[in-house]
Amino acid sequence: MAAVGGSSSLGLPCVFSPKSRQYLALCAQDGRLRIWNTDIKTLNQEYVPSAHLSATCTCISWGPCRKAKEGPQRKKRKSEAGQVENQVDLLALGTAAGSVIIYSTVKGALHCTLDGSHSGVVNCVQWHPEDCLLYSGSDDTHIVEWDLQTGKARCKWKADRAPVTSLCVSPDGKLLLSAGHTIKMWDLETKEVYRKFTGHSTAVTTLRFATTRPPDSDGLYFLSGAAHDRLLSVWQVREDGKDKNSVVSFNLTDEPHHIDLFTSNSKEEALRLAVVCKDGQLHLFEHFLNGPCKKPLSPLCTVQMTGVEDSPIPVPLLAAALTTDTHSLLLAYGNHLQPVMERVEVNTAERHVCLTRDVHTTLSLTMETTVSKVKTPVVNAKSKVVVPGLPGHQAPVKGALGSEKRKGTDAKEMSIEERLGKIEMSSEKAVKGAPSLQTDNFAVLLVQGLESKDANILNKVFQTRKDMLIKKTVARVPLPAVLPLVEEITKRMQGHPYTAVLMVRWLKAVLMQHTSYLASLPDLMFQLGVLYHMIESRVKMFHKLTKLHGKLYLLMTQVATSSNEVKDVDHTAKLVYEEESSDEDNASGDEGLPDEDSDNWEEDETKEDKVEEGMRMESKVTGDSDIEPGNESEEE
Amino acid sequence: MVEHAEIRMVHRGGSKINFREPVITNDSRFLLCAAGESVNVYSTSTEEYVHDLQGHTDLVTGVVLNPSNHLQVYSCSADGTVRLWDFTDAILIKTFIIGYPIYSIYVSEKHGGVVFLVVPMADYKSSELFQLVAVHLPHSGDQEVEARELSAVLCDVSPHAGAASFGREGEYIASVKGLQLEVFFFKKQKSYRFSLKSGMKKGAKNAFTCVSCHPKEDCIATGHEDGKIRMWRNFNQKKEYTYSTLHWHHGAVNTLCFTPEGTNLLSGGIESVLVHWHYTQENQKDFLPRLGAAITHIAVSPDGSLFSTSHSDNKITIIQSCVKVSAVIQGLVKGDGVWTNLIIDPRSKALVLNGKPGHLQFYSLHRDKQLYNLEIVQQEYIHEEGLDQFEVVNAAFDARGNWLATVEERRKKGAELEITLKLWAYDELTQSFVLNTTVTAPHEDQITAMFFSPSPETTMLVTTSLDGHFKAWLLADHSDANEGFWACDFVGGYHLLKPGCCSFSADGSLLSVGFQEVVTVWSPASWELLTTLSQPPGAIRDLCFGRLSCSKYLLGASTKNQLCCWNLLTCSLEWSTPMDVSLLQADPLSENMAAFCSQSGSSDLFVFKPSEPRPLYSQKALCTGKVQHAVFAPRDQMLESCEERTQWLNRSQLYFFTQHMDLLTFSTKTEEDRLLASSKQLMVDDSVAVTPFYLLLGKHRGQQLEKQEALTNPMAERTQLPQGSIAIKELLHTPAHVLPSASFLCAMFVRSLLISSSSAREEKEHEEGEREKEEEDSEGEADPRLGESAAWGPPEEFGAPALTKAQERELRKVKTFDHSWLSSLLDC
Repeated sequence: MAAVGGSSSLGLPCVFSPKSRQYLALCAQDGRLRIWNTDIKTLNQEYVPSAHLSATCTCISWGPCRKAKEGPQRKKRKSEAGQVENQVDLLALGTAAGSVIIYSTVKGALHCTLDGSHSGVVNCVQWHPEDCLLYSGSDDTHIVEWDLQTGKARCKWKADRAPVTSLCVSPDGKLLLSAGHTIKMWDLETKEVYRKFTGHSTAVTTLRFATTRPPDSDGLYFLSGAAHDRLLSVWQVREDGKDKNSVVSFNLTDEPHHIDLFTSNSKEEALRLAVVCKDGQLHLFEHFLNGPCKKPLSPLCTVQMTGVEDSPIPVPLLAAALTTDTHSLLLAYGNHLQPVMERVEVNTAERHVCLTRDVHTTLSLTMETTVSKVKTPVVNAKSKVVVPGLPGHQAPVKGALGSEKRKGTDAKEMSIEERLGKIEMSSEKAVKGAPSLQTDNFAVLLVQGLESKDANILNKVFQTRKDMLIKKTVARVPLPAVLPLVEEITKRMQGHPYTAVLMVRWLKAVLMQHTSYLASLPDLMFQLGVLYHMIESRVKMFHKLTKLHGKLYLLMTQVATSSNEVKDVDHTAKLVYEEESSDEDNASGDEGLPDEDSDNWEEDETKEDKVEEGMRMESKVTGDSDIEPGNESEEE
Repeated sequence: MVEHAEIRMVHRGGSKINFREPVITNDSRFLLCAAGESVNVYSTSTEEYVHDLQGHTDLVTGVVLNPSNHLQVYSCSADGTVRLWDFTDAILIKTFIIGYPIYSIYVSEKHGGVVFLVVPMADYKSSELFQLVAVHLPHSGDQEVEARELSAVLCDVSPHAGAASFGREGEYIASVKGLQLEVFFFKKQKSYRFSLKSGMKKGAKNAFTCVSCHPKEDCIATGHEDGKIRMWRNFNQKKEYTYSTLHWHHGAVNTLCFTPEGTNLLSGGIESVLVHWHYTQENQKDFLPRLGAAITHIAVSPDGSLFSTSHSDNKITIIQSCVKVSAVIQGLVKGDGVWTNLIIDPRSKALVLNGKPGHLQFYSLHRDKQLYNLEIVQQEYIHEEGLDQFEVVNAAFDARGNWLATVEERRKKGAELEITLKLWAYDELTQSFVLNTTVTAPHEDQITAMFFSPSPETTMLVTTSLDGHFKAWLLADHSDANEGFWACDFVGGYHLLKPGCCSFSADGSLLSVGFQEVVTVWSPASWELLTTLSQPPGAIRDLCFGRLSCSKYLLGASTKNQLCCWNLLTCSLEWSTPMDVSLLQADPLSENMAAFCSQSGSSDLFVFKPSEPRPLYSQKALCTGKVQHAVFAPRDQMLESCEERTQWLNRSQLYFFTQHMDLLTFSTKTEEDRLLASSKQLMVDDSVAVTPFYLLLGKHRGQQLEKQEALTNPMAERTQLPQGSIAIKELLHTPAHVLPSASFLCAMFVRSLLISSSSAREEKEHEEGEREKEEEDSEGEADPRLGESAAWGPPEEFGAPALTKAQERELRKVKTFDHSWLSSLLDC
């Protein structure tokens, strides 16, 4: 059972709502109360107390869960609305001015103000788990018991000589712990001191009951933490009253700021404890409470958080909540103005866990709440797009080397490397040996380009359009260079369609010249599979396109014949305004960006080319001849 | 079959909150709307659910404020009752039994004690004819009153809300149906009918859709199917009526509403734009666009400061000062359909299904609240009817919630199907999903099933499609790049049959794909076809591997009323039973399986273990229609029930969707008891006001009070506070349902005043003077107090401060008579 969320009087108050941890209430430096939804990680509501600058909020406590009103005529029908988990509603805030504010999160408005009893800063507020009572401890050394039904103080008593810094009501609602100069345990019925505990030298900031057993069973434990103290002490309430010293202590790295614990209900059940320290670290403890233990216990697991910068800066944790599942935790981290909440799975087997989180991307400057409740996942350029024809869309074709398939691309690349090495050896010989005076082909250049993988050379070679030249080049390429050529062609065909148009001629030439060599390769399927998939996917739509083309052509010719009858309209412009700078622009374009210009030129050319081809094809379609596969891929 | 008393079926996922027009209370703090069989009260500022008004036994069909008491509300329901509620404390004050199913309710300030209801016409019970009747609500002390005196006002009206409206000061009521507008004048007891031509020749659809009357002038605004708004004037005669036309909407005008002062007319339709027409300058209009979904109802708060629009995606938007959307009350989105299966997000434990168009919604089952919508398609949605737009049709999470796969599809009639498979990685750094790989046209036909492999070693996704293949997608790791991308690893098929379903075994070592009549079992490690199982006739509809101790079994449901269980060790049929299973679902945390069978129009549920012949739990006639979607949601905390029948609910809870898109689940008695026990009612006095202005005034009043206390006798206001008088306490703390109606209490108070003046004259005389003085003194502060209590306090505060000693005595006297005083009051 989770204890009702406590509050810390030092530092900024930051409390998770009890039970389901749906909300995080946080009072930031600017004096505003913000309630964050831990499910959606957005700001649920913001409340500005009327005197938030003068009377800042010092402590927060969530009220017990609200009950659905039991109607008098409630019948159990077959399918009525089910009981949902009860919503948390009320939030008590202690202020520096000595008043206690009750805020309703359901209505989003102030519920009531309790004031007039404290003259000093309210250090701690605690709800009674069952009755409508609220306890507050203040700098004026008094504890006040508020009756919430009337909104009046029911009882007020002096607790200590020193300011009351912390309070805690026992889970059964019969005892109250208060910390001032000493820790006192009060019987709430009689308002008398039941026990006294001394030990802390500084102000006690945290008091929590660790077990839910009755006080006279020797099994009631509670824990306390103090300012500037790096120990969390556990005290046992013993039947014989000999409970002067703390029985167990937990080692921390700094003073505790936020504590969440699962009380142990029996001896067999361990106490689970999550402590967030002032230095922003989280310590997790698990301990069976059964009597004293000399040595301070070290944490089971320590969680830290860092940013993603080059020199990682620690991101402070603000609060942590345990869940019933031992591995998952609910964390709040970042700054108080805009905390980030996250449910994390922590491997408690490791002593130190360091989480890396990017706080800055989730932090935005505008605090505007999104009312639309739409989350947009990140879509960036890094994501990969797989379209039909690209590798990855179809399964890699299984060759004879079926066993290698699982290794995938790595194995393939390795083999290419090896092969390329071999090629280097042999092709060098070939280059040396071949008569280098011939100018009607690019064979040497191509081989060099393939060897060195020089994109410039390859671009130059592959931009050739003359069929004869291509044919001759391919014919003279030495056999070991054929496979790299095929690879290169495949790679380029997967790219932009314009380059694909150019590559089709090359592929055609290769297939015509070197079929016998390719057929002799053992892993032919594997090598040409990608090419095959690509061609297949690209010609899939071809049939429909030719149909469309034919229809359009028919339409266009009809339009053309009909428009001939119409008298020609004078298309010459009546007035031509000549811009002087246009010439200059062109000129400068020519000079400055020759590359781009040539690209454009090339594109234009291909377009023309395409149109020509289309016309040719059209004539073929109308002439109902069979379409060559080569032409198909060219069209694509 | 035995009815299990300890297992109940309960509604989840809220109900339709956009069914009828909501009501904003006078102080603009609460919004009330009909939600299924109850009326929900929401806070307008925090959009939280405050409480609900429960009592109706059928669909609530209308909610209106009581015109004579702004802290009360009438609700009508198809169960034939009108109920009067105190909505601040969720108390049922009175039930009026009408006896006919009620379809809408209208009230007017002028017609006190009368409600106007739309009920079916008495003679044509079966047909779809409705009439508007006036019901005089009888005054009586009983809680349940029969009100069967119906007087027909209009015949043949439309049952839809918004099809009738009261005119200026309730002098007439306008109702529209089809192509006819009918105006009934109460004074003359005469009605006029105005008809429009059907106007079909131009393609214009003239039919009326909604009506709203100007609150201050004689003007009726009507909305039409073609998007026009007509403003009717001078309609108190048959002949010389006039109308002008406003046109902006391109779709039908769904709803119209005048602001309380009548300066503006609000209209909304499918465009999801709130149009704001200025009444005097009709060509001027303002827009509030991008409200997310088609507007179905508009309501305005009585002071005109808040608008609320109900939307077709089960959402109510609250709009502040005409321009700013301040809150969104969102229920479970019930769109055109659920195409994705119900899935549980392993990270947030939320239920994931289709949400807004092109989105996936995350719905928290524990809190019964929608968390958010995740935008998947990322394309502008065009709010128009009859468009084919991308829709998410499939989604799957991997076992740890690190990967989300979605399939979106555009169904075009007669054209190529466009499918995109998207794979999203959950990035812990930024706490959001990040698109990793987009696969366009992953298959050539619709994808029928998609699952991640549950095996922890490999991240694998399998999709089956009607194109006759199933594909396995694998996350390719690139050592150089940080992230790998997804690529197809294997394409499988079986004799060109179409695969309809697939399932992974719990450890991911086996994959079974159902190819029509044949079940094929594959090994994902080597992609070998291990075995085929077949049990003709009937194609396999659903496949499921057994878990834990039953992992050797494979279950298949076929279309021909057969549920088969194969033993994978022997590759033979273990058992089969004739059952028309529409859905088979395995509990991921136990061996249990749930099978929904459709039989003669209703669904039955069987929960069983594959190894045992007897079902663990069965429920006949669960709901009408076929159950298409169901899911086992793991519980946060395990239940420790040892009863045999409820044991299957210990680890996870079964949720399912009925044909009418209601989300239902099963709950046990122990669970409910636990929930009830864990919560204590918190009674906190909330009468303290808040504003600095009040603090100032309060201080001033406090000083005055002190002065009064010093000057006058001790009978100051302080002693009159409720806790001071036992009698009043008794009266106020009596449960409201045993008290008579508020009007009676009021009468009693007045009468007690009268008696005190006659019987207790002697002490009255000097008291009178003092009271007058007091009243004079307190005049200055009386106003803020009244306003304040109107805004904040429960109604009992009105009476309390004005009580005198004599009244107290009277009350005490009344109290001594015990409850017989009620009857005596009734007599006189």
